[in-house]
Amino acid sequence: MPRTKQELYALLSDAVVEMDEDTSVALSNESVEAGYDAFETIDQGLAKGMERAGKLFDESEYFVPELLMCADALNAGVNILKPYIKTEEQSEKHRIVIGVIEGDTHDIGKNLVKLMLSSAGFEVIDLGRDVPPISFVENAIKENAEIIMMSSLMTTTMDGMKETIQLLNEKGVREQFKVAVGGGPVSSGFAEKIGADGYSSNANQAVKLANEWCRQIK
Amino acid sequence: MQPIVTFVNEEKEIAVPHGTTVLEAARQLYITLESPCNGIGTCGKCKIKINSETFLACRTHITQNITVVTENKEIENKTLKILAEGKSFSYPLQPFITKNFDGEKTHICGGDKHLGTETGNTANLLYGVSVDIGTTTLVTAIINLINGKEEASESRLNPQSAYAQDVLSRIHFAGSDDGLATLQKTLTEALNTMFAETAAKAGISTEHIYEAVYSGNTAMLHLACGVNPKPLGMYPYISQINGGEYVAAADLSLNISPWGIVYLPPIISSFVGADITSGVLVSQLFERKETILFIDIGTNGEIVLAKNGSLAATSAAAGPAFEGMNIVCGMRAGNGAVESFHISGGGSISFQVIGNVPAAGICGSGLLDITGELVRTGIIGRNGRFSVTEKSEQLREKEGKKAFFITDDVYLTQNDVRQIQLAKGAIRSGIESLLTALDLTADEIQLVEIAGSFGYHLNEKSLLDIGLLPAALKGKVRFVGNTAQSGGIAFLLNKEFREKMSTAVTEIKKIELANDEGFEKLFVASLAF
Repeated sequence: MPRTKQELYALLSDAVVEMDEDTSVALSNESVEAGYDAFETIDQGLAKGMERAGKLFDESEYFVPELLMCADALNAGVNILKPYIKTEEQSEKHRIVIGVIEGDTHDIGKNLVKLMLSSAGFEVIDLGRDVPPISFVENAIKENAEIIMMSSLMTTTMDGMKETIQLLNEKGVREQFKVAVGGGPVSSGFAEKIGADGYSSNANQAVKLANEWCRQIK
Repeated sequence: MQPIVTFVNEEKEIAVPHGTTVLEAARQLYITLESPCNGIGTCGKCKIKINSETFLACRTHITQNITVVTENKEIENKTLKILAEGKSFSYPLQPFITKNFDGEKTHICGGDKHLGTETGNTANLLYGVSVDIGTTTLVTAIINLINGKEEASESRLNPQSAYAQDVLSRIHFAGSDDGLATLQKTLTEALNTMFAETAAKAGISTEHIYEAVYSGNTAMLHLACGVNPKPLGMYPYISQINGGEYVAAADLSLNISPWGIVYLPPIISSFVGADITSGVLVSQLFERKETILFIDIGTNGEIVLAKNGSLAATSAAAGPAFEGMNIVCGMRAGNGAVESFHISGGGSISFQVIGNVPAAGICGSGLLDITGELVRTGIIGRNGRFSVTEKSEQLREKEGKKAFFITDDVYLTQNDVRQIQLAKGAIRSGIESLLTALDLTADEIQLVEIAGSFGYHLNEKSLLDIGLLPAALKGKVRFVGNTAQSGGIAFLLNKEFREKMSTAVTEIKKIELANDEGFEKLFVASLAF
């Protein structure tokens, strides 16, 4: 009994939320065989599931391990569908430069944000950890990014985020980028104080922020 | 005219420029107001009262003459449980400081070095002080160097907390204008007061204290000595002080003998400091043949694993959840804190509150107990989520989200559980990394020694139930108390330990978790209960 497109997308979304890699693979194959559009299958099915997982994470219902397993289920499906995406559908992705600020080597949180942003369809340029402010600026310009995201787990390194924003100002390119900050000791008050455009308390909030900004940019 | 702010409890007042915050005014008067977020307005801990209304000191700007009522720290110092004693072992009495009466004068020596002379015979007045400089608490003990007896001890909160609560915030604060000087001065004043009080209790004069041993973490040693700890807070996390060295007490403005010296025990690494070296000393980790896990649980969990005298050490960034921070109903272990908790076979709950008062919040030991019991009874799943199937009268909605209610006002939220998972996951993954480093499995560990005043109030069952410790360690956990303090005393009483530990710490394998390949995976796996 063949399923309708909508039924299939809903089931794919559920498979991601339920961290079910096998079902995600099976349903993705089914979509290919049924001749449904691959891009749409990802967008309306798998990515929707990740969005739901992100919301559960935001509500503390899901935690890091669950989110990673959801991403595994998503990626398993994406890998099957990817070869079938028509080139004209591969529209320009919004680009985000991300990294852990200089002096800090704690990158688990940053990696989670990166994962969620990629799942949500952003192109993420990961500068890694212990990233000097100037490197954020230069790479954002070079990569033609729209958003810069910086994180820190150590209070002692937070001043580097401020420096990045100062450098953007000095180079006269501040207006080209939206800047978001996050991490354990970072607060919305701090973000405001250093002149960042936004703060996110977790990976899901980061995606929300990026989505909001990209709607404005469009 | 500048407005005047009066602090009633402290009997101090000051005129300040229009718009100054109450927190800034308090700091100018050296009044301790807790402000762990350093005045950003996020932590909510600097509550004060003006006309019986509660405000945050950092958000309250002074525009007219006001009278401020602060939380009385003296009361908190009295009710707060600070652990002064730790396990020790027997060793020969061979203090570094010695005295010798030549028939006219008394000569004071530190090792082979002549420190000074006193007129007359003072040879029987010979004392040292062991100083445990914790990030949160301070403990001083005056030790008779002639017979090894502890004469008296004192403890109180580290007043530096008023400026910045955790180690990193304090390092950061030290980098601000006058920050380092302020932190050093605040600490020195507190120590001098404690020395005077301890000496008075012991019935001796502080002039007859000739040596202080500073048993503290690396950052605290920097701040105590007026050395900027900035490089400690930035990768590659370099310590400017390696310990195994001496500073003149006079240079640190300490009110002890004018010839007094301060000994800083050797550190193990930037984040495993002299306090842990003291612990390693008194736990005799180098000498014992067993496989022993030594942990000091705190904001930073310092962990040492010993296998027949071979040691590996690391520090895990647990964060402040265990101290009740970032926990909705979290609080320090003071009056009103739920400190222990149990669920009976029938599902009814029982708990204990510190002091003869109603429950006001949950302290670290209470948090671990509650979480442990909820995990044990299935109300919290292995993944940390409140169960949808388990029924409990205490599991109710709070602002649309599930929470576990201990009383009507004291509860644990789903997000609180997540914070505890992060904290325990950090320490558990540290333990696992050390096991890998020494090629051991958890069941090969014969003994777990939990040091530190926080750990002392925990119980083995909770630590196992939440998976902070591997299940294989059941029945092997011992609480060894404040070994920073007992180790400091050992350094005072036997000079041989100084040379020995300076060499020994270099032989310890140091593991930097954040740089460890595969740490992320390990950490995520360690989050489960």
